[in-house]
Amino acid sequence: MGRPGFMLDVDERTPPLLMHEGEGFRLERLPLGSRVIYPPESLPGIVDLEGAIHHALLHPHGSDPLPQLLRRGMRLTIVFDDLSLPLPQMRTPDVRQRVIEQVLELAAAAGVDDVELIAANSLHRRMTPAELKRTVGERVFRAFHPDHLRNHDAEDPDDLAHLGTTPHGEDVEINRRAAESDLIVYVNITLTAMNGGSKSVAVGLASYASLRHHHNVHTLRHSRSFNDPPHSAMHQSYDRMADVIGGQVPVFTIETTLNNEPFPTALRFLTRREWEWNLTDQASYLAVKRSNDLATGKLRRRIWQATEAPYGVTGVHAGAPSQVHPHTLAAVHRQQLTEVQGQADVAIFGLPYICPYNVNSIMNPILVMSLGLGYFFNLYRGKPIVREGGVAIFYHPMPHEFHPVHHPSYIDFYDLLAETTDPVMLETKYEKQFATDPWYTHLYRTSYAYHGVHPFYMWYWGAHAMQHLADVIFVGGDRSTTARLGFRAASSLADALELARDTVGANPEISYLHAPPMVLADVR
Amino acid sequence: MSGLRDDLRLLRHGRDWRGRSRVPRSAQCWEPPDNGDDFPTAWARTAAAGALRSALQQAMLKPVIWSQTRPVVRGREYLDSVRGPAVFVANHSSHLDTPLILGALPPRITKKLAVGAAADYFFDSRTVAAATTLLFNAFPVERRARRGRSLAAELVDGGWSLLLYPEGSRTVDGWLTGFKLGAAQLCSMKGIPAVPIALRGTFAAMPRGRRWPQPGRPRVSVRIGRPLRIEADETVPEFRIRLVRAVATLWAEDDLGWYGALRAAADDSLALPTGSRSALPSTASGQPLPQDNEVAPWRRVWEATRPAADDGPRQVWTD
Repeated sequence: MGRPGFMLDVDERTPPLLMHEGEGFRLERLPLGSRVIYPPESLPGIVDLEGAIHHALLHPHGSDPLPQLLRRGMRLTIVFDDLSLPLPQMRTPDVRQRVIEQVLELAAAAGVDDVELIAANSLHRRMTPAELKRTVGERVFRAFHPDHLRNHDAEDPDDLAHLGTTPHGEDVEINRRAAESDLIVYVNITLTAMNGGSKSVAVGLASYASLRHHHNVHTLRHSRSFNDPPHSAMHQSYDRMADVIGGQVPVFTIETTLNNEPFPTALRFLTRREWEWNLTDQASYLAVKRSNDLATGKLRRRIWQATEAPYGVTGVHAGAPSQVHPHTLAAVHRQQLTEVQGQADVAIFGLPYICPYNVNSIMNPILVMSLGLGYFFNLYRGKPIVREGGVAIFYHPMPHEFHPVHHPSYIDFYDLLAETTDPVMLETKYEKQFATDPWYTHLYRTSYAYHGVHPFYMWYWGAHAMQHLADVIFVGGDRSTTARLGFRAASSLADALELARDTVGANPEISYLHAPPMVLADVR
Repeated sequence: MSGLRDDLRLLRHGRDWRGRSRVPRSAQCWEPPDNGDDFPTAWARTAAAGALRSALQQAMLKPVIWSQTRPVVRGREYLDSVRGPAVFVANHSSHLDTPLILGALPPRITKKLAVGAAADYFFDSRTVAAATTLLFNAFPVERRARRGRSLAAELVDGGWSLLLYPEGSRTVDGWLTGFKLGAAQLCSMKGIPAVPIALRGTFAAMPRGRRWPQPGRPRVSVRIGRPLRIEADETVPEFRIRLVRAVATLWAEDDLGWYGALRAAADDSLALPTGSRSALPSTASGQPLPQDNEVAPWRRVWEATRPAADDGPRQVWTD
């Protein structure tokens, strides 16, 4: 059993602490008295995973066992989370493959012929055939690709079905094949508390017309946090949409949760507490850091992107989405929740090399902002770890780099930031133009590009943090890129604290969120 | 190269020579259980390992230590009566202590001597544990007493003498701190003698944090006392007090001379060299210890690092 997460008070005994900074990391000495939020240690994974999946399918929550839902002549659609989950990509066989194979075994036994597999990529880029194969496994890929194993296309008018509106007037439009199926089986990986539940079908298979109701500045500013579904306006919108979907097509969901093992053995030091590093950990740190620093940017990125997480699966729950998700959330909390007393004046975050939108790609400045002010800032329950009017310090070099195939609209969006960084202004003035631009739509549908509106969503992702914080500083950040985004750059932590001095004084309270591995701060 | 140097500097910051960091205070309650006594040490007590160890100690360890310090060894003659297992009990303030004692004891004893080493310090890394075990015939001792199981009793049953530091750790100021009960308990349980040993000057020569003795061959002394056995009507805590006083008497010889120290001990007027924690829970007569030793920490360190007087003829009578 792993040890729980805890708050470390930095004292004179505390060695320099590990800090991620994009495709690199460093040791940093934090000021005495700083507090560090450590995640719980990794829980053991399920040993008999096949058995656990089988048990979940036969003993679901709030639903008949899956074999009873399958019958000859039915239309079965199996939908699965796309490559944005988990992070990093997990070592094969992916848990989605294991679940899908068991679902297909049952479907074959029931005589189901009409089976379609769809990646729930929403407005994300399409998964390449290699990525699909990696996710669902060789056997499934060979049997179904390309005709019956495909990506969701949110811009195909023939493959979208409008199911109605919620009591709040929100359009619910999802994939037609799924909407007209006799059963949707959704295979999920819940990495953080924001994943899974109503979000799976209502977002993963949705169109822009549907997504715009919750992926907007107003909703995100009232999602505090979006990792705390009961207090997330975004999740309340998902729930309303899921009710509309559930009223028209039955959904059987299988949710899985992972432990805190995001790095392979050679990088074990990244997940260990620094004062417990043995000689092997220290030698690994030195060897990996030196090699990483000496490698060319291209090689470095290739190596990091090739990293496979040896995640263990901590839970498999199946059944009706509303019945399953509480069990899933409990498992996520068991692995990630750390109690934190009070808010700090300054929060420090070390941003890693990966976010949901740069798998096998480049983390451009917009994604860095989304990872920092969106995902990391929102890793809380209750209150943010930094007080309103406080300062956030992020570690990331934030280079001016974009993937021209994956993120074409991001390049143009970056230019917009010279005019304004105000999320409301950007939303009002430019969102629709980008969302309906035929060239972006063409690239989204036929190439491997994120949807034209996607960079806006990334910007909204940080809207709550931008409103909450008085200042945002990037240590090691490229000065012109950081300035374009409306933030400030500092060359060291000491400089960053000096910059923050005007806002929070000379002796601020500092909290450092020591992630990854994932931690959800339960701020009291 | 500057990048490597910077990385190394940061990595080494706050870590000792073995790369081990102290545990931040707020993290102490989350320490994982120690697994030091899981490290196998039986291989180090085989004849082949013993031969290799003797060679290493005589050809390498002793010459190096004797070349870097000026050891003065007294009381070896008291060991003639020691036949069979015994527990050697010494004060502890430096990593020099064990090599000095091993070099000071006759080979017939060191051949069958095992050294108790802190499980959480010497046995948390397999590399360090293997080296310590081979060179010193070390076995893990659980300092925090979370678990009762110890190799010590088994080793005594196997005919091995033990070198133990009942203070549990190197002192922070060079003075004597409280003795734990384990050594006295072991002597009582197995009916074997305890041999007191006092070390002076090792704190000044190589205190905590130093990896090599101070330059200038500092003088150090190893004073071995007469073997003590627990009396029939003596309890283990009383025997522990006698052990402390025996070590303190040997310690005082450097200042008072042999006879002066004996007289002071007999008069119960021996000023115990107590440091951060009192060495004695009470006096031999059961009275609470006078608190006249509560001085500022710097004064204890100051005294402990005072350069030792040059060697002269052995003092029997003092002024």
